[in-house]
Amino acid sequence: MIFDSYEAYKQVGFKPKVCILGSGPAGTTIARKLGSAGIPVVVLEAGSREFSDESQDFYRGKTVGDFYFDLDITRLRFIGGSSNHWAGWCRVLDKQDFEPKAWAPDTGWPISRADIEPYLGEVRDILELPAFRPDVPVSDDIRWVQLIKSPAVRFGEKFADELDKSKNIAVVLNTYATELTGDGKRVTGAKLWSNGQDAGSFSADYFVTCTGGLENSRLLLWSNERSNGGVVPNAAALGRYWMEHPTFEGGNAILANYTEFEADDSNEAFFSPTLAAMERLQIMNFGIRLIESPYPNVKKLIADLACTAPNMAEWMSSQLDQKLRCAAQLYVAWEQAPLASNQIELSKADVDHAGVPRIELHWKKSPLERRTLLEGLKLFGTTMAQKNLGRVRIDDWISNGGDYPTNEETAGHHHMGGTRMGTDVLKSVVDANCKVHGMDNLYIGGSSVFCTSGQCNPTTTITALACRLGEHLGKVIAV
Amino acid sequence: MSKFVREMSRRAIVQALIALPALSLFRSQQPVVDPDEIVEINGWILRRSDLA
Repeated sequence: MIFDSYEAYKQVGFKPKVCILGSGPAGTTIARKLGSAGIPVVVLEAGSREFSDESQDFYRGKTVGDFYFDLDITRLRFIGGSSNHWAGWCRVLDKQDFEPKAWAPDTGWPISRADIEPYLGEVRDILELPAFRPDVPVSDDIRWVQLIKSPAVRFGEKFADELDKSKNIAVVLNTYATELTGDGKRVTGAKLWSNGQDAGSFSADYFVTCTGGLENSRLLLWSNERSNGGVVPNAAALGRYWMEHPTFEGGNAILANYTEFEADDSNEAFFSPTLAAMERLQIMNFGIRLIESPYPNVKKLIADLACTAPNMAEWMSSQLDQKLRCAAQLYVAWEQAPLASNQIELSKADVDHAGVPRIELHWKKSPLERRTLLEGLKLFGTTMAQKNLGRVRIDDWISNGGDYPTNEETAGHHHMGGTRMGTDVLKSVVDANCKVHGMDNLYIGGSSVFCTSGQCNPTTTITALACRLGEHLGKVIAV
Repeated sequence: MSKFVREMSRRAIVQALIALPALSLFRSQQPVVDPDEIVEINGWILRRSDLA
């Protein structure tokens, strides 16, 4: 069932056991899991069936620190959530991403990759993915990794019919919780806002917030402030350890044979470090995207190389005469070190139309990440040269320690952390089952529970965690 | 001054000095440069054999 307002929903007298806030990949997946288990669920979606400026305006906010995207363009507020502008790139976090790293404080999850692997079959069905293939070692330091370019499932479009026909799932559009109320043990209700006005209070046995990697923190920070700590009783880490995937052009490469790595339809291939290399260099995970260069870039690259390495330039020129495609741009995206100081706060000066304080995002890249960028490119370049697969040139601003450019990709629009998973209540918000510490009936879905970000796009892991949470919650309710 | 030097003629000393550079021919060769060594030049990560 899909309703366009809370008023319309109220008239059918549906009695949900679970209230899910948000209809993005996490919210929709958890709702489908519970619905298929026969558990009645209501999904409150703040936006409508389509994009609107009015809805997006609720997402405006401010960033303090490094340059970042406007907070109302880096996410979407309508049915399907930010899956509506997702590029469809799929990969699950690596096994090593779940493990603590001695050289990077506050890393490590309370679960392992093995805990989400049982759900990857479902994830493939949901995201329409072919089978995942294992990584291919290029050297002891570098892996050639798979990043599947999927059809980019728009969760609103793909599942609208199924949700509309479901007897166990009610999706209520244009409706969201401005705050949850709680007594320090349980969420006792939610204050709703629907179609531009106060819609009263609402209650359910269980609540799952799936409003996104920025909004989950905002909702819970505001709810906790209003409830005097009654919604997140252990709030030391709430809003903290927020992460992105910084992404910049890192240089160029000349390849002996571009087809060596079976580049995808976009002529892109992806590489990451081994755990041993990360440990030796004490750096974070990273992903290097190798993209075939247009011909003018190739000529410029050879001219530059001719001054430095004539032998190599001569070989390169002869390859070009054979019209081989053999030059590439390198983009690097890397894992951010989890830092408590990278955090979401509530604005003290600015509120949205419903009176909820807007987000003030404090975000800064650390020296460890800067080292990851430089050492990562050197590691990749060294492997390419040692294996005679090609040669790499690192951009000057990276080699010389220059400022990060502000006219490049900047980051991946991947909002992670803020309500991270863990066992230490001072450094985490949810437990291994995504249940808020100290609360009996409040769960969190989505990338805000990520402890670390790894180097890959988060949607695949978000969907796997949502399958796991949906199954877990179904069992809890069935008892 | 040693007896040996005192007994050498000035001509013999000059000839000995002139011959000194030729001794390098009998030295062992310079250490071999590894052509596979990785070097970083102007941002490029190269093998030494790439350089002319």
